Amino acid sequence: MRAKTLLLAAVAAGALMAGISSAEAAKLKIGFLPGVVDPFYQVMQLGVEAAAKDLGYDVVTQVPPTWGVEAQTPLLNAMVARGDINYIITAPVDQDQMVAPLKAAVDAGIKVITVDTFLGDGDYANGKVTFPISYIGSDNEEGGRISADGLAKAIGGKGTVYINSTNPNVSSVSGREKGFKEEMAAKYPDIKVLGPDYNLDDLNKAQQQTAAVLQQHPDLAGVFGTNVFSAQGAGTAVANAGLTGKVQVVAYDATKAAMDLMSKGTVSLVLAQKPFDMGYMAVEFAAADAAGVTSLPKRVETGFAILNKDNASDPAFSRFVYQVPGQ
Amino acid sequence: MAAHVLASTEAPLTHLQRVLLTISRLWAWLFLALLILFFVATVPVFSGISFLSVRNSQNILVAIVPVLLLGLGQTFVIISAGIDLSVGWVMSLASVLSALALRDSFNAGVPLPLAVLLGLLAGVFGGGMVGLVNGLIIAKLKVPAFIVTLGSSFMVRGLALLWSENTTVVGLPDGVRAYGNDSLFYAIRGDHGGFYIFSPPALTGDMLRQMDRILSWPVVVTILTVLLSMFLLHRTQFGRYTYAIGGNIQAALRAGIPVDRHIIKIYTLSAAMAGLAGFLSTLQFTGGSASIGDPLLLSSIAGVIIGGVSLFGGAGTIIGTVIGALIIAVLTTGLVMLNVQAFWQFIVVGAVVIIAVLIDQSRDLIVGRFSGGSE
Repeated sequence: MRAKTLLLAAVAAGALMAGISSAEAAKLKIGFLPGVVDPFYQVMQLGVEAAAKDLGYDVVTQVPPTWGVEAQTPLLNAMVARGDINYIITAPVDQDQMVAPLKAAVDAGIKVITVDTFLGDGDYANGKVTFPISYIGSDNEEGGRISADGLAKAIGGKGTVYINSTNPNVSSVSGREKGFKEEMAAKYPDIKVLGPDYNLDDLNKAQQQTAAVLQQHPDLAGVFGTNVFSAQGAGTAVANAGLTGKVQVVAYDATKAAMDLMSKGTVSLVLAQKPFDMGYMAVEFAAADAAGVTSLPKRVETGFAILNKDNASDPAFSRFVYQVPGQ
Repeated sequence: MAAHVLASTEAPLTHLQRVLLTISRLWAWLFLALLILFFVATVPVFSGISFLSVRNSQNILVAIVPVLLLGLGQTFVIISAGIDLSVGWVMSLASVLSALALRDSFNAGVPLPLAVLLGLLAGVFGGGMVGLVNGLIIAKLKVPAFIVTLGSSFMVRGLALLWSENTTVVGLPDGVRAYGNDSLFYAIRGDHGGFYIFSPPALTGDMLRQMDRILSWPVVVTILTVLLSMFLLHRTQFGRYTYAIGGNIQAALRAGIPVDRHIIKIYTLSAAMAGLAGFLSTLQFTGGSASIGDPLLLSSIAGVIIGGVSLFGGAGTIIGTVIGALIIAVLTTGLVMLNVQAFWQFIVVGAVVIIAVLIDQSRDLIVGRFSGGSE
């Protein structure tokens, strides 16, 4: 009698476990590895988590404390070593140096989708790096051109402008610099472009560099800050020099700090990327790939929202401000 | 410091004292063991995965390569009662130099293995040169090591940024990736398992998940460097001089040890090892970066201190430094696997460094308090 009960219990437990394991098998586990701690990636994380929740997937997120291959690679390797992650959604911090570590992840059976930044030349169909499924991010050269047009308009089409950037050899910000310079050279012959200086994602350095340029070029008309740190540091330097309104700042990335500077008149234009879209779509791409979809686009551009003082309070635009609940 | 007190203790140690002393000497080993046990127990519960896997062990080994290489050189320096703050940026400089040498020689028609060797030489000698200059200024001009290596780290940083033209040195031949990422052994689990040496079988899809890469080339190089350092520190005159200078520099001088020359050698060795770390990172990332070593300096010093090397000089072992670096790597990996934010590793490592020094100091307390004073 007792033996029979035990047997029944064992069978029931076995069935239960089999049920669990087959349910687990269908469930994808997504690793999310952004570039560094900042509001842009925090919003992207919200997108990743929202999509994972909608699809019933698990997400493992690790955020490198600093920007650099030596900070991102150990986290990547630890994710790979877990052995249970199917897809990694990541923003490579160097378009060349992260190729080998991410190739190692692919060699361990994990599929890679890059968001915000890409590997190699970004052409995953015919370029030098083809192993990622897709790149989902902004067309950063286009963003640079939009920024150039906006800044040129704000300063009346002539004068000296300065680029403050974060790191060399990062596909996203390099594209912004390139687009900005090309647009200025092509359309605005009376505008002289200085820089870029690289602040290595350090707000203080961005501020110092901009202050130094303001010293050297008292006639400076505008600054293009290529990301959160650059725009914020540059804007602060301009405000500290008492040049608010005289030096126009175009900020890439719609952080609350950038919006605050815009409301004070220091920043004249804010280019909002769509990190939530990038994160959400990347998870959907993983789901589609897992389901056997083979015609996913290799490159998806998520576009921009251009915010200025006039539209900043319009909900259709303000929803693109990088807002993280509870912050 | 503890050794001096011990030597002057006349009364035999009690049983309790002996147990406490043993624990304080072996605490780093115990801590590492407890740490591993902790993660082995918690990771499966919270994340549903195994901490104790071949893949994870290899991952930890790969992770300690740069921290350990910087720490090995630093061990010699700190035992000699010095400090080398330049190793992080020397590693960056070496990464840039070796990438440039490798790329340019390959483009000039040098075959790949030879170009890699040239990259190695550029990194190790380029790094070593900085150490030579550090050592000369410290030994001959009697400027404190802290100041000299702080100053040179700024200069080296500038040179690395200049020579890399403020960007990643890229365009290295594709074959370089294999040198930095391939392994000595490959093991495949499951029914069609097997063990391969030097090159993996061609696998695709889910079969890839069954393959473990064991001892990647940078890990092999690091293990050899550890063995060499152990030999050098514990078995040769070089090592004895290092302890003697750190223990009591006046006594070392009176004993006829060529102190100046030895200090120059120690700093050159430290920088050359940082150069090796830079070269290996160039292989691993197939590119040279002027900022790669920057975040590693403090971790490497932390590893050395956790491993029991005394900042007062004269005491420490290579295996201690290895344990210290392992503790940091196990912590980092374990916390990631527990899905704890990476920032916590800083907080935990910082606490462990302070605890390490406290335990080091407690040895005096244990002996002093229980032996009733022996002066």
